[in-house]
Amino acid sequence: MKFLLQLIVIALLGLVFEMLLPWWSIALAAFAGGFILATRANFLAGFLGIGILWLFYALLLDAASVAPLAERISKILFINKPLLLLITALIGGLVGGFAAMAGGAIKGKSKRSTDDRYYR
Amino acid sequence: MKLAKFFVSLLICVACIVVLNTRWVIKGTPVPPLGKFLDPLNGFWQNIESTDFKTTKFTITGLTDKVEITYDSLLIPHIFATNNDDLFLAQGYITAAHRLWQMEFQTHAAAGRISEILGAGPEGRILDYDRGQRRLGIVNGAQHSHDRMMENETSRTMVEKYTEGINQYIASIRYKDLPVEYKLLDYRPEPWTTLKCALLLKSMAQTLNMGDKDIEMTNALKLFGKENLELLYPDREPATDPIVNNPGNWKFNPIRLDSIPMAVPEEFIHVKRLPPSDPTTGSNNWAVSGSKTATGSPILCGDPHLNLSLPSIWYAVQLHGAGVNVMGASLPGAPGIIIGFNDSIAWSVTNAQRDLVDWFKITYQNRAREKYLLDGEWKATTKVIEEFKVRNDEVFYDTVVYTHWGPVPYDHSYHAEDQRSNYSFRWMSHNGSEEVLAFFKLNRAKNHNEYLEALNYFGTPAQNFVFASVSGDVAMRVQGNYPVRRKNEGKFVLDGSKSSTGWKAIIPNEQNVMYKNPLRGFVSSANQYPADSTYPYYITAVNWEAYRNRRINQVLRESDSISVQDMMKLQGDNYNLKAAESLPVFLNYLDTANFTKEEKIIYTSLKTWDYINTAESEAASYYEAWWDQLMPTLWDEMRNRDVTLSRPTTYTTIKLIKEKPDLSFFDIQETPAKETAKEILQISFKAGVQVIADWRKNHPQSSTVDWGDFKDSYIGHLLRLQPLNISVKHGGNHDIVNAHSRTHGPSWRMVVSLEKTGVKAWGVYPGGQSGNPGSYYYSNLLDTWVADKHYPLSFLHTADEGKTLYTVSLNPVTK
Repeated sequence: MKFLLQLIVIALLGLVFEMLLPWWSIALAAFAGGFILATRANFLAGFLGIGILWLFYALLLDAASVAPLAERISKILFINKPLLLLITALIGGLVGGFAAMAGGAIKGKSKRSTDDRYYR
Repeated sequence: MKLAKFFVSLLICVACIVVLNTRWVIKGTPVPPLGKFLDPLNGFWQNIESTDFKTTKFTITGLTDKVEITYDSLLIPHIFATNNDDLFLAQGYITAAHRLWQMEFQTHAAAGRISEILGAGPEGRILDYDRGQRRLGIVNGAQHSHDRMMENETSRTMVEKYTEGINQYIASIRYKDLPVEYKLLDYRPEPWTTLKCALLLKSMAQTLNMGDKDIEMTNALKLFGKENLELLYPDREPATDPIVNNPGNWKFNPIRLDSIPMAVPEEFIHVKRLPPSDPTTGSNNWAVSGSKTATGSPILCGDPHLNLSLPSIWYAVQLHGAGVNVMGASLPGAPGIIIGFNDSIAWSVTNAQRDLVDWFKITYQNRAREKYLLDGEWKATTKVIEEFKVRNDEVFYDTVVYTHWGPVPYDHSYHAEDQRSNYSFRWMSHNGSEEVLAFFKLNRAKNHNEYLEALNYFGTPAQNFVFASVSGDVAMRVQGNYPVRRKNEGKFVLDGSKSSTGWKAIIPNEQNVMYKNPLRGFVSSANQYPADSTYPYYITAVNWEAYRNRRINQVLRESDSISVQDMMKLQGDNYNLKAAESLPVFLNYLDTANFTKEEKIIYTSLKTWDYINTAESEAASYYEAWWDQLMPTLWDEMRNRDVTLSRPTTYTTIKLIKEKPDLSFFDIQETPAKETAKEILQISFKAGVQVIADWRKNHPQSSTVDWGDFKDSYIGHLLRLQPLNISVKHGGNHDIVNAHSRTHGPSWRMVVSLEKTGVKAWGVYPGGQSGNPGSYYYSNLLDTWVADKHYPLSFLHTADEGKTLYTVSLNPVTK
């Protein structure tokens, strides 16, 4: 449940941050999501949070298209459109995943050290 | 452990960002910064446009009053302003909104700055191109025109306001809004400058008026002798129907130069020529007076032929402001309308072809190239160091030597295979001229006199300006600055050590070739010879058009009560006059005895052909394939030399085949046998059949060899990225009124009916108003163009008239 919340928060923060900042702000969003709502699968939350955000956003824009821009760009990059969508999602996912992992690691670190003090 | 995990994941994350935020060149293939580029919220996905437009309002600094812009269903903006300043500011802003990347790229190309964006290119080809642009003095010429522009209050305000509009747009956009090409190549637009307006016009001059054959003719003279030269490269071909046929009516005192014997150059010139103006670039225009039309009002037509590219060359727009209501085709990057109409008149242009380029042989004092001989004295050269900020590379410096004639483009460091000879390049467009002002006045002209007055400011590239007015006049003027030439001057390389060989005078504007309301009831031009033989000035050019002009004049002569539809049909006319004049002769020469089955089929098909190059014609493919083999086979003399030479024209070639079939040039030099026209035609016919057979093999899905498929035309994106090109299946060809060859063709087609009850106009071009490959309007006009049809243009008188797609209001900043 918390994982799902974390995933959604990362996606929403990514959406908001990207309105104001360049593309790499997804890392800030995922980092924050990883830190605030650290779960046992921070990487996955960041990966899916940003990956899904990017995939759906790209699909949404492409659905409204009249001219085949995505097809044209795919050909320039020597690939096809499904692969272009996949790579788009993957790139967002990787950056989001590692950022969330880093965020979660800090939280985890401070939490674990507190635990250590109490239970050892 | 967790600390390590934190650092490792952070490191990977940062590394990913850095790698994906960087443009890479992998084995010569550039890869955009993938993270930045593929980000759907800011990257290229944002360039996908829906057709759902919203009415918008912007506040723009620099405006004095409100500007209303109405877009019609073709995305043509109709700009309504209350004064000229606001009008040009809005034109700049709106043009940039649709064509920013193209405007900047084209002016970078003109200025020799493409390597800043694309790098030096494979084998340094892009840098080589850039160096060529600087060495030909394009920027220098643009600066001279810029100076003239700034001297005049009207033209200065015009380009300054236009520039301000473009820069307002550039300042208003974020990365997300950038044209997709910027994202793909990962760079940002720089501020527009008034100089760029001049550069753009010079690049058009380069496209149209940089052709010359001086070096080729000099080589040909030495190689073939004077007699052959006149046979192969006559100044004037007998069949043309001159633009202005006005014998005995040139009533002025021409400027006479003391004729000095021209030193005939006696040497070969070894240079790897930069590509000159494409000889298939050309245009049609004509105007029919009311006596020949159904409505009794004049009809004017124009279709300039250029290298068809995307984003489209032209941007259609209507400008409505203080005392002006004009509509037509504009060049993105230049204020005003270049080809169009207003409430009173219409005009269009074709290229005037004239030779406005000369080469002067320079004698340097020594290798330092610091002094050159002029009239017995050593005169200092000027050395200009050109800087090239090549992307991902070191800055490249190139020294260009200038004499008083002009730059020396080819020398020891550039394209010269023989380092001993140096030639200065003199081009009419090196001069400053006032085209911007000419268009300002032409856009506002109300009658024939005001048209003439406006054209007095038009210097280069020399154009044939067709004119028609609501008041009933039709006219033609071959306008430009032309040097007064002595006989044969301009054909060969000249002696640069004598100032007497240079241009002494410019033909006065009022002595240029022109006329009004000729008896035949129409005026027309198609890049042919401009005047009858009684015109008192010597005229020469790289080539004169020989077929389109005669076909157009034939149709116009034979037509009466002409309708707008007739004129549209003529713009798309596919009758191949060249084939009609050559094919029967060619076929007669063929020995059909040992023909293969395939050869027999093609022969029979050609025999029954109607000479019409429709997209579906198979015979047209056969004829063109044959022709394309014939020229290089026949003129092997020009192909196989180590010096640069040019082939005789199509017209001269056909004439020689008909009249002198035994000419020594028909002999193929590589073979021991002695060939004549007969053998050449036989050989090239068989080669053509082979080309067709190969095509069939490579296109197994096509059961027929349709001309439109065989021609394989495409509209190419400026970056030459194949996925951004669009293939078209279309009829026509060069030398045909519908002059669409593989890459060149009618870049804008316009028909204007100048009726007293209101001017009506139709237009189309192969592309669309938007420069964005992600927009429906990138190429929405193309299908109509391919069908040789036109759109009615909505010429508005108020902003809220007619159907609109959406509106944009530009508001001044309120204090």
